[in-house]
Amino acid sequence: MTSRYDDEKFGGVVREYMRGQISRRQFIVRGAQLGLSAAVLAKLTRPSRAAANLLDSAPEAPYESPITPERVAFLKTKPYKGTTINVMVLKATVGDGLKYHVPHWEEQTGGKVNVAEVPIETLHTQIFSDLSSGLGKYDAYMTGCWFYGDFFVPKDPYIVPLETFLADPKHSYWDPDQWIPSMRKLYSWNGKVYGVLFDGDAQALYYRKDAFSKKENQDKFKAKYNYDLPAPPKTTKEYHDIADFFTGWDWNGDGQNDWGISLHAKVNEQGFFHFLTLSAPFVVSADNKYYFFNPDTMKPLINSEGHVRALEDYVKFLANGPKEEIAWTLGQGWNLFLDGHSATEPTWGDLPTLAQDPKTSRVQGKMGAAPLPGTTEAFNPITGQWKKYELNQVGNTNGGTWHCVISRLSKKQEATYDFLAFMANKKNALFNCTTGWTGVQPGMKFEYFPPVGSGNVAEWKAANPPWNEDDAIEYLKAYYAVLAAPVQQEYLRIPGAAEYWHELDINVSAVLGAQVQPKAALDATAAAWEKITDRYGRDKQKALYQASFA
Amino acid sequence: MAALRVERLEHGGFFKYALLLPAVIWVFAFTFLPLISVIRFSFSSYVMGEGITGFVGFDNYVDVLTSGQFWQSIFVTVVYVIFAVPIELVLGFLAAWLVNLGAPGSRTFRTIIGSPLFTLEVAIGYLGVTFFTDQGGLIAVPLAALGIHVPWMSTAFGGIAGAILLDIWRWTSFIFIIVLAGLSGISSELYDAAVLDAKNHWQVMWHLAVPLAWPVTTIAVLLRTVECLKTFAIPFALTSGGPGTSTQTFSAMDYLTTIQFFDFGKGSAMGIVYLILVSVVIATFFQQMRRRLT
Repeated sequence: MTSRYDDEKFGGVVREYMRGQISRRQFIVRGAQLGLSAAVLAKLTRPSRAAANLLDSAPEAPYESPITPERVAFLKTKPYKGTTINVMVLKATVGDGLKYHVPHWEEQTGGKVNVAEVPIETLHTQIFSDLSSGLGKYDAYMTGCWFYGDFFVPKDPYIVPLETFLADPKHSYWDPDQWIPSMRKLYSWNGKVYGVLFDGDAQALYYRKDAFSKKENQDKFKAKYNYDLPAPPKTTKEYHDIADFFTGWDWNGDGQNDWGISLHAKVNEQGFFHFLTLSAPFVVSADNKYYFFNPDTMKPLINSEGHVRALEDYVKFLANGPKEEIAWTLGQGWNLFLDGHSATEPTWGDLPTLAQDPKTSRVQGKMGAAPLPGTTEAFNPITGQWKKYELNQVGNTNGGTWHCVISRLSKKQEATYDFLAFMANKKNALFNCTTGWTGVQPGMKFEYFPPVGSGNVAEWKAANPPWNEDDAIEYLKAYYAVLAAPVQQEYLRIPGAAEYWHELDINVSAVLGAQVQPKAALDATAAAWEKITDRYGRDKQKALYQASFA
Repeated sequence: MAALRVERLEHGGFFKYALLLPAVIWVFAFTFLPLISVIRFSFSSYVMGEGITGFVGFDNYVDVLTSGQFWQSIFVTVVYVIFAVPIELVLGFLAAWLVNLGAPGSRTFRTIIGSPLFTLEVAIGYLGVTFFTDQGGLIAVPLAALGIHVPWMSTAFGGIAGAILLDIWRWTSFIFIIVLAGLSGISSELYDAAVLDAKNHWQVMWHLAVPLAWPVTTIAVLLRTVECLKTFAIPFALTSGGPGTSTQTFSAMDYLTTIQFFDFGKGSAMGIVYLILVSVVIATFFQQMRRRLT
């Protein structure tokens, strides 16, 4: 039983802690001296990461907002002076995004960050060579989410969970509860968070709002297809009509013929994501969530009737874009749209973000955005039945959702987390997702506008270059709809995912190159997947595949 | 005493074996041990993070030999070698011959022609993308302006042709340098005599320079053939092996299998099969060369 005097004393300790005058450790020690158990006190200090204890800013941390008092006190000590951490990143926009924050963190903490940039073709190799050889040269790796399964092949996983770090208020503040659930899942494994917030990928449809709303185009479209030009298209059938309509004539008035769709399909350059996304509504529905494997047998579903029809449908889009796009990289695909020569592009959120830079874009203020079109019929590969739907639209989290994870072999895990958390802090996260060249897309609620989020358009207009207000509203509305769609395409995260996807990539590419028919290509993919599954162990893969839905 | 030491060196004793020891250790450590390791992997199933998960007999070999992708990669590699090496040989020899004749601008040319040799292959491959892309490519656009539309990057033909052109650009100078050294070694008296007998310089080249420089030239061709059979960076950086796997060379396929996806078992089996195939080619080459020299 505590006395009234003790109660007052404890109240004083709590007040000091809440104001940031004492650290969490001091709070626990002084509370324990008053007779309260350390476990109870530790529990009490957990809500310290809640918004109540946050400061808007602090002179010690010019690059963070909000910030905890513990963080302010911690930074005063230049805690990582003399500490160097090594981070491997993807040599791409997301890598540049990470590098941007390095000098700021170094300035605040006294630490040093060495960044090694690795191209996408060798990133997986470099990460897992470092880990499996036991070298552990890097403290953190920027990973695509499809590498996750590989981190969990050994009994002792290659990467560490973040619970302990997240509970410590001395690190930069960010709140995993702000994640949109589909996004949080990608940063977690078996319910534990392993990744620190950075990117949030999904594919949506971007289109030229100005061209779609032009009366002359609408009339022409109606005359040709006998229905109103849908803006945006709701079904793949409508999308094909639109792509066809805008192909082969100068609808933007610059003297050159333009195109209906821009794709990029070079192998090893993430082009297969186009197929994954566009094929989803042919297979995934409210009645079936499985796209890749039968969860009971691990038999591939990739050559099902639905997938084959989807690939046949996908190939038709090639006629509505430049022939060379089958050898285009991602940037080349974007350039066609940003230069104003393509009416649509199904791609990642980088596109509307890059569109805001007048130096590289002619389409600022003309961006329409929507979830990708759906189908009116989907095949359930588990039951082997086609079923009609009024509209079967499927959300996705396709892409890298590039972010960093911390190596189990790192001897500087705390400093490494501190750097990664610094980039996840709201101020920096907002900078990342509003700035085109960082390659980062929004995955947190505070980045979206009400009623789904707590952000505001002023934050986007304040970016450099500033966002067009309508573009920002359109983009975030569509992007959220994709991420929060009730029917979602699964994301493959089992060991060997990179290899499974590579087989799909080369076979889809062979179809686009007219070397093989869709059915044969997907049969070849399924056969290759069977071999991969057998090599990794069917039962193990099955368990992990089922766990990846948990 | 000195005579005795020389005799022991010449006729026996441990010393001469001791002199050989570093080389033996080197070969054992860096050739035999890796080869044994590769053979062991080729009979195993390997999973990254777990290591060897079991021995699978000849399964990996069966997998390789029945794989369409494997034979296609061999075909692509052979096509690459068949076109790249002879063109490099002809161009390199002609250039060396002209420089050896003292054609105007030879000294400047000699400096310029060597520069691609000091550029990274992967950089040349990526540079090739900027040459052949239809979006402002330095080669594609002028050709298109002349009405020549080559689908450089979007077809197997265009991709392989582009990669071969880049290979020729880079490696012709290698043949040039070696052949030039060979031609420089031919005595000027022989040239003078030949010039008197021959109708023109081409006859001198064909009947004098080619036969006399042949031993050196064959070495250059052999080195280029071996190197070309392992070609990886230029075609991979240019096309990533696509569309599909239509421009994927053997090295690219083996790299993806072994290094990218950590399938050491299948990748090792591929390597062994290829080693055998290439050994046959090289042995035949040596046999032909020996016959020609005798």
